[in-house]
Amino acid sequence: MTDVVIVGGGIAGASAACKLSAGGLEVVLLEKQQAYHDLVRGEWLAPWGIREAQRLGVYDCFGAGGAWEIREWMTWDEAVDDDEVEAVDMTGFIPGIGGPMSFPHHAVCELMAAQAVGSGARLVMDASRIQVTAGREPVVTYRTPEGEHEIRPRMVLGATGRGCTVGRQIGVTMRNSMHHWGGGMMVEGLDSWPADVQAMGTEGDVMFMVFPQGFGRARLYLNFPAENKLRYRGEGGVERFLAAFELDCLPDRGKAVTEAVPAGPLSVWPSVSSVPEGPPLAEGVVLIGDEAGNADTVLGTGLSCAMRDSRTVCDILLGSDDWSPAAFDPYVREREFRLDRLAFGADIVSRLHVEFGEEAVERRRRARRLMAKNFAAQVTGLLNMVAPEDVPEFGFSEFFAERLFRETA
Amino acid sequence: MTEKKTVRVNDVDIAYVDEGEGDPVILLHGYPDSSYLWRHQIPALAEGGFRVIAPDLRGFGDSSKPQEIEAYGMQTIVNDIVALTSKLGIRRPHVVGHDWGAAIAWMYAFLMPRRIDHLAVLSVGHPGVFARPSIEQRAASWYMLLYQFPGISEELLRRNGWRLFKEIMGRDGDHDRYLRDMARPGALTAGLNWYRANRSPEAELRPARPFPPVLAPTLGIWGAGDQALREEGMLGSAKFVKGPWRYERVEEAGHWIPLDAPEVVSKLLLGFLGTEDSAQAERRPRRRL
Ligand SMILES: Cc1cc2nc3c(=O)[nH]c(=O)nc-3n(C[C@H](O)[C@H](O)[C@H](O)COP(=O)(O)OP(=O)(O)OC[C@H]3O[C@@H](n4cnc5c(N)ncnc54)[C@H](O)[C@@H]3O)c2cc1C
Repeated sequence: MTDVVIVGGGIAGASAACKLSAGGLEVVLLEKQQAYHDLVRGEWLAPWGIREAQRLGVYDCFGAGGAWEIREWMTWDEAVDDDEVEAVDMTGFIPGIGGPMSFPHHAVCELMAAQAVGSGARLVMDASRIQVTAGREPVVTYRTPEGEHEIRPRMVLGATGRGCTVGRQIGVTMRNSMHHWGGGMMVEGLDSWPADVQAMGTEGDVMFMVFPQGFGRARLYLNFPAENKLRYRGEGGVERFLAAFELDCLPDRGKAVTEAVPAGPLSVWPSVSSVPEGPPLAEGVVLIGDEAGNADTVLGTGLSCAMRDSRTVCDILLGSDDWSPAAFDPYVREREFRLDRLAFGADIVSRLHVEFGEEAVERRRRARRLMAKNFAAQVTGLLNMVAPEDVPEFGFSEFFAERLFRETA
Repeated sequence: MTEKKTVRVNDVDIAYVDEGEGDPVILLHGYPDSSYLWRHQIPALAEGGFRVIAPDLRGFGDSSKPQEIEAYGMQTIVNDIVALTSKLGIRRPHVVGHDWGAAIAWMYAFLMPRRIDHLAVLSVGHPGVFARPSIEQRAASWYMLLYQFPGISEELLRRNGWRLFKEIMGRDGDHDRYLRDMARPGALTAGLNWYRANRSPEAELRPARPFPPVLAPTLGIWGAGDQALREEGMLGSAKFVKGPWRYERVEEAGHWIPLDAPEVVSKLLLGFLGTEDSAQAERRPRRRL
């Protein structure tokens, strides 16, 4: 008898499989990839996400999969003068946790899936054509090279990410918006880059991010306006992607990065935020992770959210026999509150840092001045580090946002 | 590589690789390895006409991981090897060890002089040398002190994504694998217990007993790039060995010689094991006197 079928073995699904199987439930984890490989996903885990990983019992999967603690954050930006650049210490935001971690995403998912199997879960790779029918007795059908299969579990968790495969099948609709495009690639040979330091900034028509993973490896991301969506595609795309880090604001004009060696695929995607138009569940089915709605990736909180979802839902499943939709009310409410805050913050960050041209540069300059004068104006920055509920309320008032943009307009 | 088998000895399960036919060779790994350390030498030695036995020592790999410090005393571990070889019907193996495995191999040679043929030790010299380390060796062994604090060492190594553990291991040996192995339930404490049981400051205060001479023909191998164990350990070993002693310094290797210079190690072992008159042959005439 299967208690829970989890569709999608990413961070959300695989961590849930670990927690539920460790809690004694019969779990089947369905993943569409034949083997885990680099899908170019988030690899920067916020301190509050690390705490979620500990609570889920999957913390070691990160370390073993290659996670590296990053300690300092440099903003190298065309709107920041050289003598103003300062390192922000990220290790003290949550006592006992330390700085954020950067890790090879697929390696960690693979270890989580293996851990779940170790505690009794059944992992099915290469599962395709998954169909979920909600109801008191939900039904999941899927195909593998061996044939068609059907499972009748007590509960289904939809964790297929932005594709929302399960969500669409149970009638959860999303309000989508897109502010910019993004791309990412893993590199190695970044030997002259300090391993403790991450960097972000905007110059010209790119917003860049460098997240070291130790020993000369780093995940690079670029955010850029939609009209440049073809720039990093096709032949020479990888070279153009690396060359985009040749920036005046970076030390040595970004030489450490531009001379790095690709160590994974380059992926380019529209950076979409999705807010569900109703609760992300149906009778017998609950959505978690990106599938339940997500803020713009610019905040770097998708992974932390995926694990918060996973933990909250697993605690409900393990805590009581009541698995009716009403039992998940606390999850739905907390998630809505969280996504509201993250979407609000992501909107501010995108407007400040992922818009380009003279006006945008001026706005960033003025915003920096305001933040230097009034420390409280930096409140949005906290959203990267601590859980959304721990960020002071005033950071989410229209009044604050209006002021930030009016005074900097 | 062939599947590992498991035997129960001394109340623990010991997993081991058993490959080839011929004179038996026991390969003992160190910290934080497992029999996997010897993956290049196992086929080479089997090919060369030996029966190769490579156990995962207690606390490592697929073997049991008792959580008490006392379970990791050197004699206890030597007993594991004795019990394992008896169960396999092996009387006088060649014994080869690296790192902690070398320390065990020395101990085995002291305690079981008649149950060893040739002895080969990699990286770690005779414990008599290590008992009076130079200040340089003490400095290089700083991590052994860090490992002495039950619970606290574990937390320090593990936090921040195992950052300190990674910094200590660097990119050496099977670094990718170590963390995965150490993250297995109980593995980190088990591994550290080796140091707690045998390298504590208290242990250094205990009155030293004289070491019995090593009668077996002995080969010492040291990697010139070793950051953790200095050459003095190997050079100083000569005077403790009464049997024929040979020392090989491998320029192109660091601490993990079997991985850094796999062919050199296989060749050295093939050219050494079974080539000298063994200890017993030497002792027999003496006994007749
Ligand atoms: C480029 C990029 C950069 C990002 N940067 C960050 C960052 O730095 N920090 C951060 O916290 N977040 C970041 N995010 C967001 C983060 O990656 C996601 O929020 C997180 O991966 C969501 O996890 P998930 O498990 O819900 O979904 P996913 O990671 O999308 O995993 C879904 C899994 O389900 C499988 N799957 C999909 N469809 C099916 C199906 N039909 N049947 C079976 N299996 C299926 C997929 O193969 C995959 O394994 C970024 C996202 C992107 C795209």
